Amino acid sequence: MRTFLARRLLLLVPTLWVIATITFFLMRAAPGGPFQSERDIPAQALEALDKKYGLDRPLVEQYGRFLVHAAVLDFGPSYANPAKEVREILFESSAVSFELGAWALLLALLVGVPLGVWAATRQNSAVDYTAMSAALVGVSIPNFVLGPLLVLGLSLTLFWLPPALWTGPSSRVLPVLTLSAIYVAYIARLTRGGMLETLRQDYVRTARAKGLDERRVVMRHAFRLGILPVVSYLGPATARVVMGSVVVEQIFAIPGLGRHLVNGAFNRDYTLVLGVVLFYAGFLLIFNLLVDLAYAWLDPRVELA
Amino acid sequence: MRAPRWVPVAALLTTSAWLVAAGCGGRAAVPGESGSARYFGSIRAPQDRVFRFNNMAEPEKLDPGLMSGQPDGRIARALFEGLVVADPRTLDPIPGQAYRWDVSANGRRYVFHLRPGIRWSNGRAVTAGDFEWAWKRVLDPATGSRYAGILSAIENADSFNQKRLTDASQVGVRALDDSTLEVRLTSPTPYFLHLLTFYTCLPVPREVIERFGDRWTRSENIVVNGPFKIHAWKLRSSFELDKNPAYWDAANVKLDRIIAYPVDDLTTGTNMYKAGVIDWEPSGGIPAPFLPFLRAYADFKVGRQQAVYFYSINVTRPPLDNVWVRRALNHALDRATLCNKVLKGTRPPWGLFCPSGYDGYTPPPPIAYDPEEARRDLAKAGYPDGKGFPKFEILINTSEDHRRIAEAVQAMWARELHIPVAVSNQEWASYLAATTGLKYEVARRSWIGDYPDPSTFLDIMRTGDGNNRTGWSSATYDRLIGEARREADPARRMQILSRAEAVLLDDAPVIPIYHYVTMELVKPYVRGLYPTVLDYHPLKFVSIDPDWRSHPEPADTTVALR
Repeated sequence: MRTFLARRLLLLVPTLWVIATITFFLMRAAPGGPFQSERDIPAQALEALDKKYGLDRPLVEQYGRFLVHAAVLDFGPSYANPAKEVREILFESSAVSFELGAWALLLALLVGVPLGVWAATRQNSAVDYTAMSAALVGVSIPNFVLGPLLVLGLSLTLFWLPPALWTGPSSRVLPVLTLSAIYVAYIARLTRGGMLETLRQDYVRTARAKGLDERRVVMRHAFRLGILPVVSYLGPATARVVMGSVVVEQIFAIPGLGRHLVNGAFNRDYTLVLGVVLFYAGFLLIFNLLVDLAYAWLDPRVELA
Repeated sequence: MRAPRWVPVAALLTTSAWLVAAGCGGRAAVPGESGSARYFGSIRAPQDRVFRFNNMAEPEKLDPGLMSGQPDGRIARALFEGLVVADPRTLDPIPGQAYRWDVSANGRRYVFHLRPGIRWSNGRAVTAGDFEWAWKRVLDPATGSRYAGILSAIENADSFNQKRLTDASQVGVRALDDSTLEVRLTSPTPYFLHLLTFYTCLPVPREVIERFGDRWTRSENIVVNGPFKIHAWKLRSSFELDKNPAYWDAANVKLDRIIAYPVDDLTTGTNMYKAGVIDWEPSGGIPAPFLPFLRAYADFKVGRQQAVYFYSINVTRPPLDNVWVRRALNHALDRATLCNKVLKGTRPPWGLFCPSGYDGYTPPPPIAYDPEEARRDLAKAGYPDGKGFPKFEILINTSEDHRRIAEAVQAMWARELHIPVAVSNQEWASYLAATTGLKYEVARRSWIGDYPDPSTFLDIMRTGDGNNRTGWSSATYDRLIGEARREADPARRMQILSRAEAVLLDDAPVIPIYHYVTMELVKPYVRGLYPTVLDYHPLKFVSIDPDWRSHPEPADTTVALR
């Protein structure tokens, strides 16, 4: 266990280095640079800017300097926004992305799990079909369609909720609904499947035979095992929900991480892109590690070696 | 790679859903409102004196000397005030930090007298020396200012900026005392005061910059002299300005707070306007498909904009190096049909390089649609009926509108001239690299004027100008531009400029297509915001009128198209 952890943590370093290197050279290979605009930039201004940010040095030297600084999480200031450090931008925007993701996941659990249980206990009934059809719709509608539809109904027709921004509790509603829909649907289907499987088990029949009321049978006995697929799904889902919100952030103008990645790439904001990519990569790697650890803890048959 | 099938369907769905919503907009149940069919969405006036708008992007740099974009400029001109400010309707220079100025008879020496008692937000007096320092900082090559060219009318400014002169004291700007600033110009520049309304000429607090360096614009460090000061700057979320009590004209600033949102998604920004979250969606912020039907609403404001959409030709590449080919391409283009069909009449066709509306400027005859002439031109170039004409590409930056226009142009050229044309698109930064590096054949471009004078357009086509980007060079043209620069008589100067434009159109390194117009959404309770040719709106004059229904709207807040 301890050696497993140590090895995985050590592996993080070369992985991140490879990612950093590829990103660095890919960004530099893209045409254009961070200082160009539709209007001509005078030669003397470009020269002064390149000098200021060290872009006049040989590429290898720039790469070396970047690696040394990146090792201590110092990416320097954003080119597009020189008054702000990339680190600071990452910190501020990741907090927003995490909050959005956390609410979406919470909602997905609070709605998806009961829905799945309910459908499972009434298998092949109208309730089951309705719930599962709804879930199918939820899985199928992409969030860039769902988001605008919600905005259209709830904020542009009924004027109940703000159509965008991240400014108060009411502004959280639509983006969280949009982002969580697919997870609600997926978790409902997983729960239903798990519960159906469990409800056919012998020990459930035994519980019923003992004369326990149905509520206790389902909630106390069947639920614990039936929910396991959802628990294992939560790992990858968490990583995805936090990072997969780029589209939702764009639709609702939310100041999260995803938009920095997109805008940074378009602006050739080298420092910002490197910062965001490494942050994402680090997050994903650490989360994968946590998921592996969680599997081992949940299922004793999994051995970490 | 093929896109998933549902992408176009989904896009269609959302767009049509949006259109339905917009169509019902007037009838939507706005709490406390009825009969609002004239307006797009909510018209509930705020009860506080807060003005909210979409700035469309995060201000990148708040340093007036270094900034180069409209989102930055809008904020900077609310925070800082120059010697003169622009009138909110006409953009004519009116007194700002200077309350009066004298101009010498030859038009080459200006003396500005600063208002007594003007202060920075840290309490220090604003002095003539602040302006001298700020302008010399912009001109200093080590500063790396993109817009230093705005000051190039000043004596020795260019030499100092381009490192031909190292002694800053020879630059023609000097504080005679704390409240008097002398400016000497190389040649009479009739629009010099207009240049001073540009953000590059705003004063900056020397002591703060020297202390904090790049970080001086952070909200905790910044010191300002304008009508507003920073209240809060939440990155990519909102930018909040409060009225600056230390500002000399604070009594006439009618807003307590301005909130600017950096929403770059056009549909999202327009949704926010409709829902009443913002009071102003500036020009450029409305998705193109919505423009035709938004015209029915009273809060949709249209104005002539000093900007032209054109195709630029790389004259260094055969066969485009042949002037007859360029003339043929120009004459074969049916601008009117293109504007009516593709742009649904939202922008007027344009056959000149300079936009309209310059006082005293009589433009040369515009390029006309004449397919017969075009075919004759092409024959003179050696390609009768397009025979043997090599295939070339129209380069656009990725955008639905640019593509539709390019495809229409492609079809027109194929129809009239029988020449093979392809359209290729690149994302923004690659497109910029290709156009600046002359790695294209024909490219979509546009130019937006910086000040109300034809030279803001004509200057860029001089030989070797960084914005020329066609490889075109004409000794006659350069000579005329130089002559105009030295000409002291305004009327004669305009005639020379008009001759220069005629030379340009005749040699045809550019293909003008349409004239820009500003199209913005402004809530009916917002006052003091007018469409202007530079699409610049001094926020100092903006106010909110909760009782707007009983006060008629000024008549000049929109113009009819054509």
